[in-house]
Formats: sequence, C-alpha cells, structure tokens
Amino acid sequence: MRIVIDILICLSILFAFAGVVGMIRMPDSFMRMHSSTNITTFGVLGVLIGGILYSIIYLKDISMAIKLAALIVFYLVTSPIAAHAIGRAAYRSKTPKSPNTIVDKYGEDLEDE
Amino acid sequence: MKKTTPAAFFGTLIACYIFWLLITGQIVSIFTGNASWQILVAGGIVSIIVSLFAARFFIHKKAFHLYNPLRFLLLLFYCIVIFGWELIKANVYMAVRAFGSTKKLKPGFVKIPTRLKSDYALAMLSNCITLTPSNITVDVAEQDGENYLYVHWIDVKEKDDMEKAGDSIKGAMEPWIRRIWE
Repeated sequence: MRIVIDILICLSILFAFAGVVGMIRMPDSFMRMHSSTNITTFGVLGVLIGGILYSIIYLKDISMAIKLAALIVFYLVTSPIAAHAIGRAAYRSKTPKSPNTIVDKYGEDLEDE
Repeated sequence: MKKTTPAAFFGTLIACYIFWLLITGQIVSIFTGNASWQILVAGGIVSIIVSLFAARFFIHKKAFHLYNPLRFLLLLFYCIVIFGWELIKANVYMAVRAFGSTKKLKPGFVKIPTRLKSDYALAMLSNCITLTPSNITVDVAEQDGENYLYVHWIDVKEKDDMEKAGDSIKGAMEPWIRRIWE
C-alpha cells in the first residue's frame, strides 16, 4: 500500500514538473495558463489523494482524511474561477496573442458590441 | 438587490454547518461520542451569521435542490468517474504537449453553444472546462435566448463548425451536468 501512495505523489510531482516546463516554453500568456492548470489539477490532486490514503492507513486519523477531502472540494471549486478571471482580464487588456492563433471568435464578437 | 428568503437562508445554513463539522473533524467525534459542545455551538453561531449575509448570493431559485440524496450521489459519481477520466486524458495530453514542439500548436478562441439554462449548471460546466487542461473558458454570453461559451483552445481542430467543436470540448460532461442540475 505504501508503494501506491508513493507512486501517486511521484506522478503528481511529474505532472507539476511538466506544467512548469510548459509555462516556460509556451509562446503566449494564454497558452501558459493551460500549462498552469496542469499543475493546479493533477499536481495538487495526486498529493492530496496520497495524503488521504496515508492518513487513513498509517496515521489512522479519519478526521485528517476528511479535512483533506474538503480541501480538494474547495480547491476544485475556486481555482478555475481565478483562471477564468485572469484569462478574461488578459484578453481585455489586449495582451499580445501568439502569431499562430488561427481563429478568434471572441474578438470578433467583442468588436460588434 | 435580491431579498433573502427563509428557504435560501436554511439551505445555506445547513451547507455551512456541514462544512464546519467536516473541517473541525467533529463529525468523527460525534460518532465516537466525545464531541465538544463549545465547538458545535460556536459553529452554529458562525453559520447563522454567515448565511444571513451570504444566502442571497449563494442560492437564487430552488434552495433544497441538492439535498435530494439521489442528486447528491449523481454529483459524486460525476465528479469521481466522468470528470476524473476527462481530467486524466487532458492532463496526459497537456504534459506531452509541454515537452513536445510548441511551434506546431494552433491556439484560438472558439465559440461553443450549450443547452444548459440554470446559473449553477453553466458555472459548473465552465469550471469543468477550465479545469481540464487545454481549454479555458473566457466568457459566457447570451444571444437570442441561447447560451454560448467562449473557450480558448490550445490546438484548434474544428475552426468553423460550432457544434462539432462543442462536442469535442464538452465530451461527456454536459449531459451529466444537465442531469444533476435540471
């Protein structure tokens, strides 16, 4: 069982690493945000699920496990709202887009208003 | 500003108190019989104050919609099985893209239609789209009674056909969310 917990935590570290590499390599700010959601979902979820299993099996502390589960709920509810607000603000403040951008329906509809 | 209805107040109160019990760990102590009455009473007072102020933002229409056990089980099943699978697929996709060539990606803002009507369902769908890497919801718009989402997609496959783009972004998520909230 210990091995499963270790694998979960290692996987989440791997995904967090991929997210950081993506944040450095991507060409524009919107694409960088895609990589950062990689960190915020799997990078955090793996650690927390590993923590839940650890606190149930080794610490025998159910209330700790419930706290971690509540943490997952709050995390999943609040973090996409931040990403959404940042993306919208970045677009409206005319952050330069990557030259590869092939379609921009949002900009077309904003001009119509 | 909207007024606070009693139903909305009690709905928020119950949710607040359940979260208080979960976070302080008292829900385990109640079953083992050594719960501290001070923590329980303090939680009740705080929940009443919070729900007096927050109920009008938290609940708009049906207050006890999610307290139906069947709906709650459906929500749990959706969160763990359907959404978990989407999350795994998208995470692996995005991790591979981060190490691969970033020059070949064709990002773009697409507009997708959605059949969901209620506020909660729309919020949940756009949050789920944002949480799966490779899509970020930028804005929600209403045109002629139909709701549309603007999504930034990291590698656009369907440029012009809204329906097809919507299907490939939303995947299995939209029917499940409609089942939960409507």
